[in-house]
Amino acid sequence: MKKTISLAMAAALAVSGAATTVPVFADDVTNITIWSPTDRESIEAWWKEKISEWNEEHPEIQVSREAIDRSDSYAYDNKIATAVTSNDLPDIFYVDGPQVSYYAANGITVPLDDYFTDEDKADFVKSSMTQNTYDGKLYAVGATESSVAFYYNKDYLKECGVDTDDLDSRTLENPLTTDEVAEIAEKCTTDDYVGTHIIMDHGEGLPYALEPLYLSAGKDYISEDGKEADGYVNSEEAVNTTAWLADLIAKGYANVEPITDEFLNGACATMIGGSWEIATLEQNADFDWGVTYYPVNAETKKAVSPCGDWAAAISKDCENADAAGEFLAWLMNTDNVASYAAAIAKPATRSSAYETEAMAEYKEGARALIVDQLENTAVPRPRTPSYATFSAAYAEAMTNIFSDAASNEEADTDYIQSEFDTVVDTFTEDYETYYAE
Amino acid sequence: MAKAEKKKLSGRKRDERVAAYIFVAPAVILLIAFLVVPMIYTVYFSGFKYQIMRPDAMKFIGLENYQKLFSDKNFWLALKNTVYFTVIVVPCQCVLALALALLVSKKFRGVAVFRTMYFAPQLTSMVVISVLWSVLYNANPNTGLINSILVSLGMSPIKFLSDASTAMNSIIFMSAWQGAGYQMMIFLAGLQGIPRDQYEAASVDGATKFKQFLYITIPGLKGTIKYVIMITMIQAMKLFTQPYIMTQGGPKNSTKTLVYYIYTQGFQKGNFGYACSIAAVFFVIVVCMSMAMKKVTAATD
Amino acid sequence: MKKSMRFSNTFGKFMFYFGNIIIGIIFVSPLIWMISASLKPEAKIFANMDSLTTFLPVQASLSNYAEVFSRLNMPLVFKNTLLYIALILVLDLLVNSMCGYALAKFEFKGKGAVLNLVIALMVLPMEAIMLPLYIEMSQLGWVNTLAALVIPFVAKCFSIYMFRQFFCDVPDDLIEAAAIDGCSPIRTFFQIVMPISKTVYATVFILDFVAHWNDFMWPFLVMTGEDKRTIQLAVQSFFGTQPVHYSAIMAALVVSAIPMIIMFIFMQKYYVEGIASSGIKG
Repeated sequence: MKKTISLAMAAALAVSGAATTVPVFADDVTNITIWSPTDRESIEAWWKEKISEWNEEHPEIQVSREAIDRSDSYAYDNKIATAVTSNDLPDIFYVDGPQVSYYAANGITVPLDDYFTDEDKADFVKSSMTQNTYDGKLYAVGATESSVAFYYNKDYLKECGVDTDDLDSRTLENPLTTDEVAEIAEKCTTDDYVGTHIIMDHGEGLPYALEPLYLSAGKDYISEDGKEADGYVNSEEAVNTTAWLADLIAKGYANVEPITDEFLNGACATMIGGSWEIATLEQNADFDWGVTYYPVNAETKKAVSPCGDWAAAISKDCENADAAGEFLAWLMNTDNVASYAAAIAKPATRSSAYETEAMAEYKEGARALIVDQLENTAVPRPRTPSYATFSAAYAEAMTNIFSDAASNEEADTDYIQSEFDTVVDTFTEDYETYYAE
Repeated sequence: MAKAEKKKLSGRKRDERVAAYIFVAPAVILLIAFLVVPMIYTVYFSGFKYQIMRPDAMKFIGLENYQKLFSDKNFWLALKNTVYFTVIVVPCQCVLALALALLVSKKFRGVAVFRTMYFAPQLTSMVVISVLWSVLYNANPNTGLINSILVSLGMSPIKFLSDASTAMNSIIFMSAWQGAGYQMMIFLAGLQGIPRDQYEAASVDGATKFKQFLYITIPGLKGTIKYVIMITMIQAMKLFTQPYIMTQGGPKNSTKTLVYYIYTQGFQKGNFGYACSIAAVFFVIVVCMSMAMKKVTAATD
Repeated sequence: MKKSMRFSNTFGKFMFYFGNIIIGIIFVSPLIWMISASLKPEAKIFANMDSLTTFLPVQASLSNYAEVFSRLNMPLVFKNTLLYIALILVLDLLVNSMCGYALAKFEFKGKGAVLNLVIALMVLPMEAIMLPLYIEMSQLGWVNTLAALVIPFVAKCFSIYMFRQFFCDVPDDLIEAAAIDGCSPIRTFFQIVMPISKTVYATVFILDFVAHWNDFMWPFLVMTGEDKRTIQLAVQSFFGTQPVHYSAIMAALVVSAIPMIIMFIFMQKYYVEGIASSGIKG
């Protein structure tokens, strides 16, 4: 009888082993599988090089990586969610910054604190460490960061009589204010141009790129502890900030449906855009452009900027977390972080990485400005397990608010208030159903 | 009738029954294994509080999800939008598809090219179609082709996708255009089944093309038409991709459909148990609709 | 008299082609835009969207295609995709046409129940059952194998119903004649009915081929690894990079559409050899 059971278990084990591509039989060798989104050629090459380097030096821990062909980040989350149902998760997988809390709170990922020294932790930029920490423990480590800044078409702004030298000379002590942005947008809106560009992807892009405006006004989307939305996203400050944005749309200074590459194609004068736009503009723009710090609230003048990028986490299904942790610590060392960041053309998370040859171009110009923001003003998105629900609800509310403003040609604060009250209800319901004690 | 012949006939009946079970079995077994079983799971999960990332913390809550569902105004809105879409798009798409099929049903020089052209929206990825139409529909005349034409004709631009009153109609128009090629192929297949000599006889009798269409084509296509209307209706009820890519259900929930709601609740927000209860109710609604349609069309025979 | 009739014939022919071309252009426009975008540099794709010139390639080059072929192992991707779709279609045409034929022409106990089941299951949206189906695949140990891509999608309600609808129109005389000649019901189907029903087989083939060729979510959920990549996974992998390069995506989409277009042109010729041309009806 006992024999039958153990035979059945062995069979089940063999089946599950085949399914997850992790052979569990080999003696002494630990196999580690990694999932991360498929990326450009330079990154795919980086992975191949690093993994073969590691595998050669560590015959006892053999690593392989699967490139995941996501269509959008929701599809990637779906793949994780379906794998969770059947314990098919890989040992290590990549997560987008604000999802770290979601996975951690649901016990999908395990803490990484043991694998990184305090010295290591101090070397990572604070924004990245904060984003990847949940409930006091570190759940993910990433090599790159992102930021958002204010871009402007110098040639066109000069035509409109805007002092671009003044914009060029702005510093973190003296950044552009929302009033000034509105003023520039008004000046530059003509039949052929809109004044500015507000990211409108109906998705994560909205809460990501716009959060600093709310923080600068004094209230984040969610409370610090990640439990409350009431009094935050529906606060007076938040409503006023949103009204300011809706006003830009209502007056026609920004498009309610901006098309891709609107700024690059010379259809709008300025934009609030991601750090990744720098490379695109350098390669393609046929006009002179500039970039300055993320605008601040006209009254508080408090400088804030967005941040967050994909990071690696160890899954609950990992059988040898120590081996995975050892690999991860190596993968995220200064040299590897620097070469990864250089290959993907994003700012690195480790301060020491900027000292390396690979990151030399971050010493000046637009990229130095991005690093300056990351080190001094970056604030991660709210760390709450209900972030995905909040994000979807917020994006939906903003779509409605902008559509309403465009149709009625004015920003309606009562309507904004009612939409944000709905966001609060949605968030609270999700949080209380699944996470409140 | 001779006794031997009678015996032969009953033998044939038996052969036929055996053949029938052999023919039906593979399909039925596969359908049960890979559609009915997952569906039973779905109904089962609908009785649970189930966060998609935490299957081990599933909690049985009985009919609570259904109670919530019936007082969820977003569900009723999604149902209303879905029905609206279906009621408008089905006749438009079927008529368009039939017209296209008639254009290319007979053999003429270049017929393959025209058939391919009409079928082209099906051969192009929905991603491209949605990206392209989002730009064609763009609210700003400087970036949207349709609005730039409207403005040059002296009309005021329309916010096709960003106004709650026009968004669904814009999606309906695009969907009928995109989907017609699918039904066109089925009509084409049906048209090949109408004997050519019927038309020849009619034109010798001096019947006009229109009369031939009315008295030969339509009756000849009766079965096909019923089938096409039924599947177009079912596919329309499942509308998901267009609002997912083009409008994300907005603005003001005007393009939120039932399947879109199931997907966003279950996967984006992780309320998997609740999403399963919507799916179960959706299933019941659409089955009732298609059974009713089957009854109605059977009555017209 | 004769002359004017010929004129009106030519004129009618001209109008027929003219109309077809105009309508055809409206339908083929996204394909044209996609091809033209695939030849443009990234910065030009969304330029000039307010005029028809957006449909014309500017600064055309094949560099986007070079990127696609250097990033993806296209022969392998095509092999993977064609293999799994071929397997599905062979089984699909066989299993579903048999079922459809039985529902159309045979009398047996439970016929009504099977027909109702088929209609009811047509309604199930994939989005509602994909997670339970994945759990089933995992329990069967099929995750990351060809079986998970093929076996759940062999039986298709739409196909069964379509076959049934068309087989209903096959004259009973023909089947009876075969029976009197001593042909068993099974042989009658394979030797008499199948050969005269090419049109409906072609229709199901085209529609199901296109549906699977465009399917992303299911292969994405059950398959992991570059060596198992199907065409839609390959195309979607271009969305993983930030910023998204639409130029490369368009080139990948054009490459992915070519086999479908060839398949369609090849299959549509079966649309003149249906029941009508063999003259058995009426």
